[in-house]
Amino acid sequence: MHKFKPSNTSRFLGFVFLGIFLVYLSNTVDELRVYQGATVAMYVVAISSIILLTGYSGQVSLGHGALLAVGGYGAALLRNNFNAPIWLCFAGAVLMAAFWGALLGATAARLSGPYLAGTTLALAVGLPSIANQFKFLGGEQGLIFDIGLPPASLGETFSQYKWFFWIASLTALISMWWLQNLLRSRYGRTWRAVRTQSIAAELAGIHVARSKVLAFTISAGLAGLAGALLSMTISTVSPGAFPLSLSFALATGAVISGVTTLGGVIIGAVTLVAIPEIADSLARRIGASENATINLPGLLVSGLLIVTVLFIPNGPVEQIRQRKMK
Amino acid sequence: MFQIFNTFLIGVTAGSIYALMAISMVLVWRSTRVVNFAQAGMALLSTYFGYEVIHQVGSYWLALPIAMISGAIVAAVIELVFMRLLLKHSSQGAIASIAPIIATLGLLGLIKSMIGYFWGNQDVSIESPLSNVGFTLGTQTLALSPMKLFILIVVSILVIALTFVFQRTNLGLALRASAYAPEISRLAGIKVDLVRTFGWAVAGAAGGAAGMLQTANGNGALSPDSLEFSLLLAFGFISAVIGGLDSLLGAVLGALLLGLVLAFVLTYIGGSLVFITAFVLLLVVLLIRPAGIISQRAGRRA
Repeated sequence: MHKFKPSNTSRFLGFVFLGIFLVYLSNTVDELRVYQGATVAMYVVAISSIILLTGYSGQVSLGHGALLAVGGYGAALLRNNFNAPIWLCFAGAVLMAAFWGALLGATAARLSGPYLAGTTLALAVGLPSIANQFKFLGGEQGLIFDIGLPPASLGETFSQYKWFFWIASLTALISMWWLQNLLRSRYGRTWRAVRTQSIAAELAGIHVARSKVLAFTISAGLAGLAGALLSMTISTVSPGAFPLSLSFALATGAVISGVTTLGGVIIGAVTLVAIPEIADSLARRIGASENATINLPGLLVSGLLIVTVLFIPNGPVEQIRQRKMK
Repeated sequence: MFQIFNTFLIGVTAGSIYALMAISMVLVWRSTRVVNFAQAGMALLSTYFGYEVIHQVGSYWLALPIAMISGAIVAAVIELVFMRLLLKHSSQGAIASIAPIIATLGLLGLIKSMIGYFWGNQDVSIESPLSNVGFTLGTQTLALSPMKLFILIVVSILVIALTFVFQRTNLGLALRASAYAPEISRLAGIKVDLVRTFGWAVAGAAGGAAGMLQTANGNGALSPDSLEFSLLLAFGFISAVIGGLDSLLGAVLGALLLGLVLAFVLTYIGGSLVFITAFVLLLVVLLIRPAGIISQRAGRRA
């Protein structure tokens, strides 16, 4: 079997071209689409953190919403208390979430399957509500996270949403480029070995627990970054912005993308953003009742999720690859 | 002193409802090795059936058994149609470990949106059939109301009945055997698939009872996005995991422990730390005993 393997340089150029294309895109489509684009970029980062964790290191997390919250609060605190520049806020978000992830990962490495799912689920339910206990976290209203106006050098017509989109897309592109390099390195191979045959991996000299903790830490860092992006697009952080359903949505996105292929991540991200809109226009076209209109998005997402799990369990990208190989 | 006693009562009542939910998680886990996140949706759906009965006939006493029966039917149908398909299709590759979790999450969403379609997304309410005002003891008011007493009695009866079925009947033996060693049980003439469906049905009934009791115990509000039911799912699951996921006794103990700890935190420390306490408790239990309080085997791989 010989597969086409692009070199590192051409991969990098690919990301650069994608970036240029996104800049071009942001100048042609309207405001709403630009804003949705920023949300898609946020989901790309968030879903890739789940793909890294589940598809590569074989751990389950239903609590990534909580790690997003850690990132969001971290960024907002840095911004509000120290007036840190945006990039520093993002870096702080990554570090803070990664720190929590390392703590959680150290416990998670001892757990498997349903036990891990239960622990992370409890975290998703519990962590955001801590904000109500401590005053500096702002309670139910949360904190404001204002990244400021776009720099004047970009021109007067440059809108806030476009600025969000640029930041989010650049962040997503950089982290995806870094992540795909990481997954093709020694670490990526180690994780895959641990996932497929953990006992064999241990015999081959891999420190299984350490590799799992590392995967959890990096995944949490990415989730924190996504949390900072999410807080940026909605300009606030509050417990209500990170409900249990966010964690579930991320897991959904990861499955629709295909948990073992990083390349599919955009499919899941676009789906999560597009479904409400598709459902809305569909409901209007068929003239559905109020109850149907409200519940159609949920129905479509869940239906799609179930169909994916049942019929293309490894995701669309993997499915196409397998078909080609036959 | 009196406050401690009252907190204890609140904890036990809450814990007993989590216990029903935990039991249904355990039954499903034992029969199909699936953690059923749709359990909350199934409980919600059967509670809505109960609501419909109350709406039409006006009797909570009729609604409770009907909710349980409809819960059993819904669960059995889901197992027959859906889970068998799932186990056939996604049992290999990286997805295998999370496919059941994800699929039941999908099912949860599906059930919720269907409930929203048929009954609307606004709150509907179930009135508590018994008084929620506590008994008085001298000048003090106990945290034990007729409704809470009723909940404790119903849960105790159900738990005793289930334990009896599991430990003393052939059916219970078949359930335990097919969870422990499906292949050998099949050779011994047990209809493993049918037994699985039965396990799901009992779990569905327990979930239905949990939903009806929880709604009547709380403010009586019922909606597809009900927070109460998300919490019921989370706390039920946490209880089951604390108990070891494999044992009914463990589920009940775990649920009572969780209920008590949460009640004491709520009374003496503050409401906003309740949820994180559940997480910390789970973490502590799992660090000391990675497979739950009640675990037969020393350790378990994969």
